Amino acid sequence: MSDDSPRDDKPSGLTRRALFKGAGAAAAAGAVFRSIEAGAKESDTVPANVQGPGTVPVELDVNGAKKKLEIEPRQTLLEVLRLPLDLTGAKPVCDRGTCGACTVWLDEKPVYACTVLGVEAAGRKVTTVEGLGTPEAMSSIQKTFVAEDALQCGFCTPGMVMSAAWAVKKHGKDLTEDQARAACAGNLCRCGTYPHVLKAALACARKGS
Amino acid sequence: MKAFKFVRPRTCEEASKAVQAESNAILKSGGIDLLDRMKEHVDDPDTVVGLVDAEGLEAIRIEDDGAINIGAKVTLQQLADSEAVQRFLPTLAEAAGLAASPQIRNRATIAGNLAQHTRCGYYRRASFPCVQRGASECPVKQDGAVQDTAGVFDDECVSAHPSSIAPVLGSLEAQIKLRINEVSMFALFDNLWIRRDGKPASHAQLPEGAVIEAIHIPARSEKQYVGFAEIRQKAAFDWALVTCAVRYALDPDGKIGDASVWFGSIAPAPHQSVPAMRALLGQECTDKTIQAAAEASMKNAKPVPGAAYKVKLAKVALKRALEHARGRS
Repeated sequence: MSDDSPRDDKPSGLTRRALFKGAGAAAAAGAVFRSIEAGAKESDTVPANVQGPGTVPVELDVNGAKKKLEIEPRQTLLEVLRLPLDLTGAKPVCDRGTCGACTVWLDEKPVYACTVLGVEAAGRKVTTVEGLGTPEAMSSIQKTFVAEDALQCGFCTPGMVMSAAWAVKKHGKDLTEDQARAACAGNLCRCGTYPHVLKAALACARKGS
Repeated sequence: MKAFKFVRPRTCEEASKAVQAESNAILKSGGIDLLDRMKEHVDDPDTVVGLVDAEGLEAIRIEDDGAINIGAKVTLQQLADSEAVQRFLPTLAEAAGLAASPQIRNRATIAGNLAQHTRCGYYRRASFPCVQRGASECPVKQDGAVQDTAGVFDDECVSAHPSSIAPVLGSLEAQIKLRINEVSMFALFDNLWIRRDGKPASHAQLPEGAVIEAIHIPARSEKQYVGFAEIRQKAAFDWALVTCAVRYALDPDGKIGDASVWFGSIAPAPHQSVPAMRALLGQECTDKTIQAAAEASMKNAKPVPGAAYKVKLAKVALKRALEHARGRS
């Protein structure tokens, strides 16, 4: 995975993420997460009737890019996004579909990535917070979260952004507070920033797009 | 999770055969509950038969006679959003729309909702004793703490069935279309909750090799009054403490001629209240009748101390559901 990715918000120096990357490098190079960079035959990625229990080749469509990977059936979409794909926006918190920190879109609908198997996401469209915008080129909802101070510790934020963005996308300019509230009901914020999240969702909807 | 083989049948027939042919296999639909249990090692299957590629399970169809057929893989969000369900089965749309969160409703299916296991904390930790796993006594009975996941009847297992949709399907006298190998058959909703060894079932009991294909809601010629009430701690994204679904029809003299009352979250299985139904039959649906039905519904309650509060909640839920049914135009 490249290190010049816009995900790391500090351009240089030791970030927490870089530290984890270094520590995990040996493990990540092991057999479980083998990324097929190129040259995989088309027939390798046709969904088979039987997959695993070892690694199987899959092709994931993440944020518009096709990613060829070898994963085990037991790996959740959340695990696949974070480790082999290095998309660390979706956060592992409860890992039981009860907190919302790992919210992504599967075929344009919000789901908890910890409740989906990676092999089941193959062939479907996966959108993570990284797919909405980058720190340099933020999407409207991300800019509005900043402008409305819609985060404190920030850990729930990527999931909250995905739910709020979906509410704006679904209801457009007419988004009501109740609709925004219902859309974000599956995301917990320990800091209690909910009022600002709702304000951000509504402000983004009023701006359009 | 333990490593497992993932089998992806294309049809229900293939799924039925696969779950019998593979050793220690389990069926997966949306998998919301199953993956939880596998992560906790409450279930450790060697093979997961996933319905992800199985075809013909995603439609809500109105049949010629007015019956409604809901494919096993229809999600809770689809149920909540379906115009046909909203119009003809409003309590089902309401219960589905209130369940869990948008992220879960987009994945969880109607068949999986019926097949989910109890949320009882003792059941869901493999290291704790539980009568459902062969322990001789239920630890909840010794535990004085408040038990949101306990039922109100003194049974060998005092867990509570978590589905808010199951009591609605019970009240609508749903039939479960099952597929075993080449054969499709209908099972009565009530029969899903009977264990062969006589112990209380804490989740749906399917015959060996059976796959839920669809939920079939029979058509009725006379006007139906239906109501649903759910009581929980939070406005959204919470488990029910008690749910109640009712259905009744009136005789020409204005008295209740046919009634169905089902509760969720108060017994190991969805609970049909025969005493409440008796209290309704032959009566006009007055406040007095509703009160009598509420009292009757809980006359056999014998809760563990931590779940005693649910007896009051259940009466309130039944009253709200009946008032809801009566008020619906």
